[in-house]
Amino acid sequence: MWIFTIMPDWVLHVITLAGFLFLVAGFILGFIPFIKKYSIPIKILGGIAFVFGMFLEGSLANEMIWQMRVKEVEAKVAKAEAESANLNTQLQAALGQKKEVIKEKGDTIIKYVDRFKDREVLKEVQGPERVKIEKVIEYIEHCPVPKELLELHNKAATMNKGEKK
Amino acid sequence: MRYLALLLLFLTLSGCSLFQKQPVPIVPTFPNATPELMKKCEELKTIEGDKVLITDMLKIIVQNYTLYYECSTKVDGWQDWYNQQKKIYENLKQ
Repeated sequence: MWIFTIMPDWVLHVITLAGFLFLVAGFILGFIPFIKKYSIPIKILGGIAFVFGMFLEGSLANEMIWQMRVKEVEAKVAKAEAESANLNTQLQAALGQKKEVIKEKGDTIIKYVDRFKDREVLKEVQGPERVKIEKVIEYIEHCPVPKELLELHNKAATMNKGEKK
Repeated sequence: MRYLALLLLFLTLSGCSLFQKQPVPIVPTFPNATPELMKKCEELKTIEGDKVLITDMLKIIVQNYTLYYECSTKVDGWQDWYNQQKKIYENLKQ
């Protein structure tokens, strides 16, 4: 309520208390003969001040509860934001790790494929394994991949580009 | 005097109800995504050249598999991110 921004809380309490005291005074003054005539204006004034004061007291109490709720929500939001940031850090680390493992495994396979690139590997192996590798190398050297197959591969690798169908 | 008391009661109660239907003036900010998830997936590689050895073709295929798995990790990451953020947001509403 805007009034709380310009008026300190104690003023509201004073208005309420003063209103109450004026009301009580109005009733008491009603029994004193000479001052009796002032009792009605004092009662009216006290009543108005008391009603206004009570209204403001109710609003203030509500405002306090509201402010408390705002603080609670602010704390919850701050906690959620911290959790969210923490989650991002954890996820970033986990993703980095997974990516590294995938890359490592891919590189290992490529290294293995590269073994068949030349005949150097034959110096390292003996026996039936050597015969097997020799056959594979021979096949690689004499059988280049037909261009049609390469085109098909490239077409599959770029199927997300160009026309929609 | 009875009317005054009634008016007093009404105003006191209306004072209490003045703020009840207003929303809390706090809006949680939209959470930032993990930087790794914001990176786009790389395009798959194609094989160039006239005389291509089967090992070269195999290498490109392996590289493409690697790219696929890297990208699928990102998709899994997005799902994880969404589920966890949803959980955090739902806790906030309680």
